[in-house]
Order: sequence, then structure tokens, then C-alpha cells
Amino acid sequence: MNWALALPEIVLALCGMAILLLGVLRRGDTTALCGWAVLAAFVLAAALVATGADGHAYHDMFIVDAFARFAKLLILTGAALACLLAMDWNRREGIARFEFPVLALFATVGMMLMVSASSFMSLYLGLELQSLSLYVMAAFARDDVRSSEAGLKYFVLGALASGLLLYGISLVYGFSGGLDFAGVAQAVASPELASPGFIVGVMFVVVGLAFKISAVPFHMWAPDVYQGAPTPVTAFFGTAPKVAAMALLLRVLGVPFVHVPWIPVVMLMSIGSMLLGSFGAIAQTNIKRLMAYSSIGHVGYALIGLAAGTVDGVRGVLIYLVTYVFMNIGSFAVIAAMRRRGRAVENIVDLAGLGRTDPGLALALAVFMFSMAGIPPLAGFFGKLYVFLAAVQRGQWTLAVIGVLTSVIGAVYYLRVIKVMYFDAPGEPFEARATATSVLVFGCALFTALFFLFPSAIVASADAAARSLF
Amino acid sequence: MIAVIAFYVFAAILIGSAVMVVTSRNPVHSVLFLILGFFNAAGLFLLAGAEFLALILVIVYVGAVAVLFLFVVMMLDIDFTELREGFQKYAPVGLAVGALLFGELLFALGAWDFAPAAGGLRQTPMPDYGTNTAMLGHVIYTDYVLLFQVSGLVLLVAMIGAIVLTLRPRVDSRRQNIEAQISRTPAQTLSMVNAPLGAGVRAAEYHRREPAARVGEEDV
Amino acid sequence: MIYAIAVFAPLAGSLIAGLFGRAIGDRAAQAVTITCMVLASLCGITAFAQLVWGGAPTGTVLLGTWVDVDRFHLAWALRYDTLSAVMVAMVTTIATLIHIYSVGYMSHDKSIARFFSYLSLFSFAMLMLVTADNLVQLFFGWEGVGLASYLLIGFWYDRPSACAAAMKAFIVNRIGDLGFALGIALLFWTVGSVEFSDIFPAIAAHQGEFYNLLGSNFPVMDVIGVLLFIGAMGKSAQIGLHVWLPDAMEGPTPVSALIHAATMVTAGVFLMARMSPLLEYAPGALAFVGFIGATTALFAATIGCVQNDIKRVIAYSTCSQLGYMFIAAGAGAYQASIFHLFTHAFFKALLFLGAGSVIHAMSDEQDIRRMGGIWRKIPITYTVFWIGSLALAGIIPFAGYYSKDAILEAAFASGTGIGMYGYVCGVAAAFLTAFYSWRLIILTFHGAPRADHHTMEHVHESPLVMTGPLMALALGAICTGFVFHGQFIGAGWHEFWRASIFNGPNNHVLADMEEIPSLAALLPSIVGIAGIATAYVMYVLKPSLPGALAERFGPVYRLLLNKWYVDELYGAVFVQPYRRLARQLWQVGDAIIIDGVPNGLASMTTEGSGRVARLQSGSLAMYAFAMLIGLVVLAALFLLVR
Repeated sequence: MNWALALPEIVLALCGMAILLLGVLRRGDTTALCGWAVLAAFVLAAALVATGADGHAYHDMFIVDAFARFAKLLILTGAALACLLAMDWNRREGIARFEFPVLALFATVGMMLMVSASSFMSLYLGLELQSLSLYVMAAFARDDVRSSEAGLKYFVLGALASGLLLYGISLVYGFSGGLDFAGVAQAVASPELASPGFIVGVMFVVVGLAFKISAVPFHMWAPDVYQGAPTPVTAFFGTAPKVAAMALLLRVLGVPFVHVPWIPVVMLMSIGSMLLGSFGAIAQTNIKRLMAYSSIGHVGYALIGLAAGTVDGVRGVLIYLVTYVFMNIGSFAVIAAMRRRGRAVENIVDLAGLGRTDPGLALALAVFMFSMAGIPPLAGFFGKLYVFLAAVQRGQWTLAVIGVLTSVIGAVYYLRVIKVMYFDAPGEPFEARATATSVLVFGCALFTALFFLFPSAIVASADAAARSLF
Repeated sequence: MIAVIAFYVFAAILIGSAVMVVTSRNPVHSVLFLILGFFNAAGLFLLAGAEFLALILVIVYVGAVAVLFLFVVMMLDIDFTELREGFQKYAPVGLAVGALLFGELLFALGAWDFAPAAGGLRQTPMPDYGTNTAMLGHVIYTDYVLLFQVSGLVLLVAMIGAIVLTLRPRVDSRRQNIEAQISRTPAQTLSMVNAPLGAGVRAAEYHRREPAARVGEEDV
Repeated sequence: MIYAIAVFAPLAGSLIAGLFGRAIGDRAAQAVTITCMVLASLCGITAFAQLVWGGAPTGTVLLGTWVDVDRFHLAWALRYDTLSAVMVAMVTTIATLIHIYSVGYMSHDKSIARFFSYLSLFSFAMLMLVTADNLVQLFFGWEGVGLASYLLIGFWYDRPSACAAAMKAFIVNRIGDLGFALGIALLFWTVGSVEFSDIFPAIAAHQGEFYNLLGSNFPVMDVIGVLLFIGAMGKSAQIGLHVWLPDAMEGPTPVSALIHAATMVTAGVFLMARMSPLLEYAPGALAFVGFIGATTALFAATIGCVQNDIKRVIAYSTCSQLGYMFIAAGAGAYQASIFHLFTHAFFKALLFLGAGSVIHAMSDEQDIRRMGGIWRKIPITYTVFWIGSLALAGIIPFAGYYSKDAILEAAFASGTGIGMYGYVCGVAAAFLTAFYSWRLIILTFHGAPRADHHTMEHVHESPLVMTGPLMALALGAICTGFVFHGQFIGAGWHEFWRASIFNGPNNHVLADMEEIPSLAALLPSIVGIAGIATAYVMYVLKPSLPGALAERFGPVYRLLLNKWYVDELYGAVFVQPYRRLARQLWQVGDAIIIDGVPNGLASMTTEGSGRVARLQSGSLAMYAFAMLIGLVVLAALFLLVR
């Protein structure tokens, strides 16, 4: 058994425990120290991921391939950026505790296990490790009633989703006889072999995973949790877990359930998410809630690529995720910078006149908003381009047309933010922000704006990753 | 035959007690029904030949978890009738959805056909080491070491989470500071007050707040 | 490496000045951009010298893959051959001088960092354009310079005229770009690649292909060549698409010097030279190029003779000189056109900066009718203006003499009808050029002062930071001609260009131009001196003559003064009908149909949005039910479609 295949996860988990000990045993305030240590651990893990070998290990429950590597690097990037954002935020909000980065680290270990899972058992455990950490993180501002409520809601609904997932796994096991992905694919090697019981099992599994990516109709938790959770946690939710769950969905539908006709179901979820994401966002006044609906919409677009069910489609999803991670972290970094008189403000009207009071920040947010609306040549455009391309190649015109239409509707609320920033009378300027926040804002803005210059490296690795699934 | 009868008995009581957990008005009764449900599930495990799991279920869930539940329910003053209000409201919808889901499941499971390869796959080769416990012990650190370790991480996270969300450094709690207790002298802490008749010790209280100022001072 | 630094240093300067200009202050922004530009020019000149005298091999500097989708490969690469190296050396040098000059010229402006950032951004885009290794990268640079030009023309965005000029430049250039983009697309369709290294060898194989349109055949290469030239016409302000250039003078004068004289407007000429392997197989397109160039040369020169705004005179002169370059390109003497481009960059930048210095001295007066009598007060400016004008008029031994004569000789030697037309127009334009140049000098510097007393008191020579670049450019205007003509177009041209410009097997124009009749070779110089003499007669000896002539030939004068009514013609033919159409569309189409539908949709959307929000009640049980209902529905669907 080649245990070294899981070296990044092992090292990361060991680092997590060491940092936990450090935080508990060392006297004085260790929050910043633990924060940087966790970031260093992420970098180390990323280096190990990038240099690791391919293969199966642990009784065929663990797989490393180009796909897993791609997703893990993206997850580590998202997690590291969110942790960086959290350091300053937590300090200012008075919730700075060393457990926060540690929990984020363990959540990341769970996500890495998810994308490397090649059996339903490891899938479930990875998912639970991730979810449990996230429940706690959502409620991390425990004295804030909205944060606690967010944590509780996420926990209860997440438990329900986990229950459904487990039930689905048991049905799948019962009807196919296998728990490892390859075995299931072998047992159900053609659509005729998929019995109704098996299909219902698949359905339950899909629902359990769709909850994690907040696809319609399993999205209801997202707006409340996004709004209630502390902003860096929301930024984290929108990136790394979403990448992990989406990658898991890609693998589960692509490997064990490859012969199950799941495409209509994914199409339905995709259409629902796109519609709800764009319609739901229009009436919002809170920018975090707006971002929640926006993320639902983005999941819908990403699912277009999955519905295509081809290499190009999967590649499109991966590219979409890359662009989305940076747009999302950048937007939330801007939201985190929205502070007045020592308090965070998060209404869209609070951005009024930002174009005059803080042109740099306004420009960055405008870049993110335009990119999310899919306006060329920003990064978001390429994400949409590749998934739409895949849909058109498969002849799924419905998806592509609805995608374009909802993009137009979606552009309305993104443009509204820009309008508020540039054409409304300015309010009181925001407080000075931390250097880390500025770095995140402008780094992500540069990535988003200049993605078109060097897309080929990302497209090529996404292509390799997608091919390794088929 | 007896096994079949036992299966149906256990299963029926399990379902019945599960229904009672949800519907009974008294929360203590709910927990008691939960315990009954655990026992019956353990019985089902026994019938399936998983003695270890059956006993673990009884020890951990009945012995620890459910009893903890019972304590919590009894100690916390929760108005369960208030919580229950939603139940009435959502009951019809819930019943309808449940019925539909049940119908679908019946439909799915009614056509009971396994994938042809399923039988072979499910026969996980189980070497005969004698007891259930020994067999588990043999695989849990070898084939399933990943799962075992990750389960450990899950529990660790659960522990961290519980601490993060509930532990508060109590500012108002008093702790024993032995060093301070030993090193102090009567002069620092005691003051002799001559209380005249009818005047009380009010003036002395003032001094107690500032012991340093009082040192060397004559009693009034 | 050096080459890449030359290209990317301006970008670095631009980004630093643009992003952090507010933080680091104007001084630091200037210092950063100028340092980067100096670095770029040192690297640019080194790269040029290594290639030309050091014998360095040509090649490409690969920076990375850009797009790699199926058959469509694109790389970020810098092309390193003589043509690109000449342009890089020239652009970086002139841009550096103009950056330095701007320190003085823009010293009273309120957004200095922004100006320098734009200026450096422009330099970067221009360098990207000239070093492009494929048409898409070239197009990227092409649009980049267009954008920078738009930003800089409209730099003083609080002046409505500047905004209008910026819009005009942008729109007119879009028309040209449309042709350019079509040309690229057709070329990709024909050859299957946009990389120069794939295109050029493949041209000969497609020589005999035709497009059949409405029953007549059009050779593929001619069509592509003409389309590419339409792009060049827009950028290089050739007749028809020239209208934006004079208006572009609304921008600050250093911008006019850099963008609208020395570099950007010559991009079209560069494109012709770069695409010479294609044009050599497109005789029809070449004839078109020569015709348009010759017409523009004469046409713009006629307008230049009667304009009264000092910058506009020079702007029309630029138009006219660009026409010369296209005459040479049309005759197949791309080397001569690039040579003229090279020398012109120096003396035209010199004239513009000199004009800037005059404007600066005259308290922002631009009308030459309100100048005069200032030559003693600003001797340096006056001297360099003379040098620039001598070079422009093609007087031996100044730079313009070598390049302009070469062009006219080439046109004569090409032996075609179009070539002859080019020669005649060119000689006539040479006369007019000399005439309007000295008209400008005499009216600006000599005679009785016509400005008010207050202004005259303030006339002063510019500071060293402005006169320094002027003198450097003056040196270029004197020397570049006789120093480089041997290499660019003389006996050594084969070794110098090293196949970066392609001449077809039947194209011997560079050799033939040495053997034309001596009268034909001398004629341009003769008419040049005649032009100077005419100007002297009309504006010094007999100052009443111009007025009398204007009265005598009233219609002609008004025609010229109003720039042949091209703007009015466009206004009547395109702009007004378009506006009317737009108004119709707005009132009927937009207000009723387009607004009606989206307003209806919008209200529907808002309503739907409200419904969604109502569903989001916050109740946990509600959410759980929603999930379960979703599950039931999806499961049912799943079972049904199976």
C-alpha cells in the first residue's frame, strides 16, 4: 500500500494538530501566530500536492489523479485566501481565536479527502469532516445572534442532507454490492442494469451533494447562512467547500454513476439555480445576501458544464471554478473592507459614492461585478464561455439559451452595485483597511482583469484534469 | 423461523418506537422511546451476526448518549409546547411529502432487482478469525486505517467545535491563589475596629477598600 | 531579454504611475515612468545595434502560450528582426524624449501622474504592436494604441471639444479596424494561421485563388491586402478616414508629437511593411495603396496651406507625409517608406514640440494670426523650428531630403501609372509643403507682433527640460538622413533588412531608383526651394498678396479653409441620417418596443424576485421541506426518464 499518496493530507492534519497544541499550550495571544502557521501549512500542502504521484491507495478508497490535484490546489488556494482575509476581520470584530484557522485547516483536510475519495466511505467521512468544521465556523461569532442562527440552520439542514446521503449510499451499496467507485461502475455497467432502487439511491446521493453546492432546490440555507456568518467565513463557504463539493459531484456522477441517466436531473438543477440565482438577487439590499444568490446562480452555470457530461464540459466547470474562486474572494475582501466607526456595514447602499471616496476599492469591486456578470475580457467571461461552449457542442441549446438570458438578468444587479458606487452621493468613507485585505482585493482584481492574457496554462491543466476523469 | 419472527418483532417495535419519539408529548417519554429503539436496533444487528456492533450500540448509545439526552431534557427548562407549535402547522405538508417519498421508495424497492454483479461484490471475503471483534480489529488498522483516522479527526473537530462555541473564560469565578494566600500577613488583611456604641462600623468599611492607605494608621 | 525589457519597462512604469500615482506623488510618478522609458530606450537601442552592427541572429522571444484551442494556436512572442528593431529603437527614443519634455510642458497640470501613466501605456502598446509575432497580438497592440490615444486626446475631459475629438478619433478608427479585423479573419480562413511564420511562406501557394462575388472574381490576396490597408488608413489618417487627426490636436501637445506624428499614425505604414510578403502578391492592393497615399499627400498639403492653427498646420502636414510613405509602399519600396517613417518621426516630433514650446511661450495661443515677432525672444525654439522645417521640406542635407527624395525616385522608377501619379502628386505636395512650412515660420516668428501687449510681455524661452529634448530631436532631424540612408535604402540594404521586408522576384525598384533621369531626381529639391521662395514673396515682400489671392480665388480658398468640406460631407451623409435614424429608433423602437418589453419583463422580474424572497422565510422547517419536496420531484423525474 502506498500510504505516501495521502502525504499532503497527512502532513496537513499533523500540522493542524501541532498548531492546535501550540495555540492551547503557549501563553499569551497566539491567534496571529496560529494564523500564519496555518497559512504556511497550506503552502506546504500545496507544494506536496503539486509534486505528488498518481495512483490508488488505502484499499482503493483513495485516489490521486490530475483531477484531484487540480481541485486540491484550488481548494488550498481558496482556503488560504479566506484565512488571510479572516485574520484582520476577526481581530477587528473581537472574535479572534486561534481555533478559527485550525478549524479551517481541518475543513480543508476534509475537502481534500472528498476530492480524492474513490469510495463512498471515504467520501462520507471527508464530507463530514468538512461539514462539521464549517458548522462551527458559521457560528464562530457566537455572541452574534445571526451568526449562531446561521450555524444552527446550517447544522440542522446539513444533518438532514447527510442523512439523505447516507441513505442513498446504503441503497447504492445494496443494489450494486460495492462501495468503491470502480466496483459500482462495474456492477452497473449499462443503463439497463440500473434498477429503480439503485436509481433512487443515486438520487439521494445527488441530493446530499447538491445541498453542499447549494443548487436549487437545496439552496435554501445559503442566503441565511451567507448573511449570518462572519464575512471571511462566507468567503470561505463560497470558495473551497464549493470547489470540493462540485469536484466530488463531478467524480461521483462521472465514475460510479456514469451509466445512470442523470443528465436531465442536473439540467433541471442547473436551470433552477440560474433562474433563482438571478431573480432572487434583484430584490436584495444586503450585499452578502446578494452574493449568496449570485453564488447559487454561478453554481447553475457551472452545472451546465456537468450536464454536458463531456471532457469539455468538465473542463469548463473547472475553469469556471478557478475564475469564481478569485472573483468571490476578491468581492468578499471588498465587503470585509466595508467598515465604518468600528462596525461592519453590509448594505448595498453603504457603497454609495465609493467611486469618489475610495476609487481603488470601487474599481476592484467593479471588476469583480463585471466579471461575475460575464463581461469580456474579464475572467468570468471565460468561465461562462467554456461551459456554454460545452453545452452547445452537446446540442443542449436550452441550457445555453437560459444561461445567456439569466446572465443578462444577473447583469442587472451587478450593474446596480456599480451604479450605486459611481453615481450615488457619497457617504462617510470607510475605515482604513488592513494591508492583507488590500493585497487580496487588488491581487484578485488583477487576476480577474488579466486572466485573458494567460488563460492557456489554466485551460491546459483543467483539460488534463478533466481527461483523467474519463 | 425463529430468526424471522425475531426480525419482524424487532423491526416492528423499532418503527413503532421511532414514531413515538417524534409524536409523544412528553420529551422524557421521547428519550425513553429512543432508548427502546436503540435496543431493538441492537437486536437487529445481533440477528445479522454483528455482535460487536450490537453491543457497542447498547453501551455507547443507550448507556451514554441517550442518558445524556435524558439529563439534558430534564435539566433544561425548555418549553416543548412552544417548539411543538410548528409541528401542527407543518404536519399536513410533512405527511404529504413523506407519503410521496414512501410511495416512490415502495415503487423503487418493489421492483427488487440487484445488479447481477452485486451478489459477488457484496461477499466481502471475511477471514474466519473467530469473533466479530477480532475480525474488526484486524481490518480496522490495516485496510480501513484511512477511515479510522479520519473518524478520529471528525471527533477532534467535534470537540474543538464544542469548546469554541461554549467555553467562556469566566470572569466572575473565584479561583484559589495559594501563593497570595500564603504570603499575606495579618497586617494587610485585618483591621481592628473599635466600634462605639450606636455608631456601627461604617467608617471601617472605607478603610477596607484601600488597605495600603490604612497601614500605620491609628484606629479611630 | 534586453528586447523584452525594452517592451515591458514602459508597462511597468505605466502601472506604477497609474495605480500608485496618488500614493507616491507626481514627482515620483514622473521619475518612475521616465526611468522606465530611459531603460527601455537603452535596451531598444542596444537591441537594434546588436542586430545591425553586432550581427546578432534574428528570431522571436517567446513569452508564453496565449490561446491553444484545437487548430488555433497563439503565442505571446516578440519578433526580433530589423523591421521591429528599427521601430523599437525609434519608438523608445522618441517616447523617452517626449516623456522628458512633458515634465516641463505639463508642469501646471493637475493630474500629472495620470498623464504619464497614459503616455507610458501608449508606449507599451505601440511596442507590442511593432514587435508582434502574429496578427492577433498586433491587433492587441493596435487597439491598445487606439485606446491610449483616445484617453490622451480626451485627457482634458472637462473640455467638450476634447471629448468630442476623442470620440471622433475612436469611432473613425473603429471603421478602419473593422476592415483590419475582416482582413485578419479572411487571412486566417485562407491560410489557417495568424502567426507570421506560418502566413508568409503560405502566401505564394494561395496566389491564384479568387473570391467570386456577384459574378466577378476578386483575387484573394488583393482583397485581404485592401482590407488590411483600410485598417492602416484609419490609423494613419489617409484620405477618407483622415478626419480625426486634425481634431485630435485637442490633446496636449506632447501627445500630438508622440502619438499623432511620430509613432501611432505610422502604424499603418509599419503594417504595410510587415505584410510586404503578402502585398507583393497583391498588385491590385498595392496600386490602391499608392493611389490613396498620393492623393492624401497632395490633398492634405493643400489644406495645410491655409490653416491658421499652428498645430493643425502640422497635423495636415503629418497626414501629407504619411501619404508619401504610402506612395513608397505602393511602389514596392517598403524600405523607403520605413526610412521616411524613421526620419519623419524625428523632425515631426521636433516640429510639434517646437510648436508646443511656442504655445507655451505665447500663453496658450495657437492661432498664428495672433503671433509674430517673437523670434528673438525664443531663439532655441526658433532654431529648431527652422531645422525641422528644412528637414520637412526636404532640403539637403537634412533628414527629409534623403527619405523624401527616395520615395519620389522610387515612385518614378516603379514605372507604373500609379507610380507616375504618385510622383506628380508628391512633387506638387513637396512644393506646397515647403510653402506652408515657411508660411508657418514667417507668420509665427517674424513680422510685427500681433499678439496683445500682455502676452508679448510674457514671451519667454522654455526651460531646459523642454529645450533639451528639442535639441536632441533637432540633432536627429539633421543627422538621421545621411547617417542611415546607406543602410536603409542604399547599397547595404540587403544585409540591413535581412529579409524582414520581402521584395518579390520582379521588384527591383530599389535598384532602379538609382538610375532615374537626374532632372526627375532633382525636381523635388527645386520645387522645395521654389516653395520657400514663394512663401517669402507672399508673406515678407508683398504681405498684401495672400489677401488678394484669397479674394480673387474665393471659392478655392474657402474650399481649402474648410478642409474640402469633408467633415460637412460626412455630417450630411453619415452623421445626420444616423442621428435621425437613431432618434426614430429611440422614439419608436426604443421607447415603445425595447423599453416596453424590458419594462414589462422588469416588473415581472421584480415580482418574481419578491416571490423568491418571500419563500425565503427563515423558517428551518420550511427549508427542510423544500429540500424534501425537491428530492421527491427529482426522484420522480429520475424514475420517469429512466
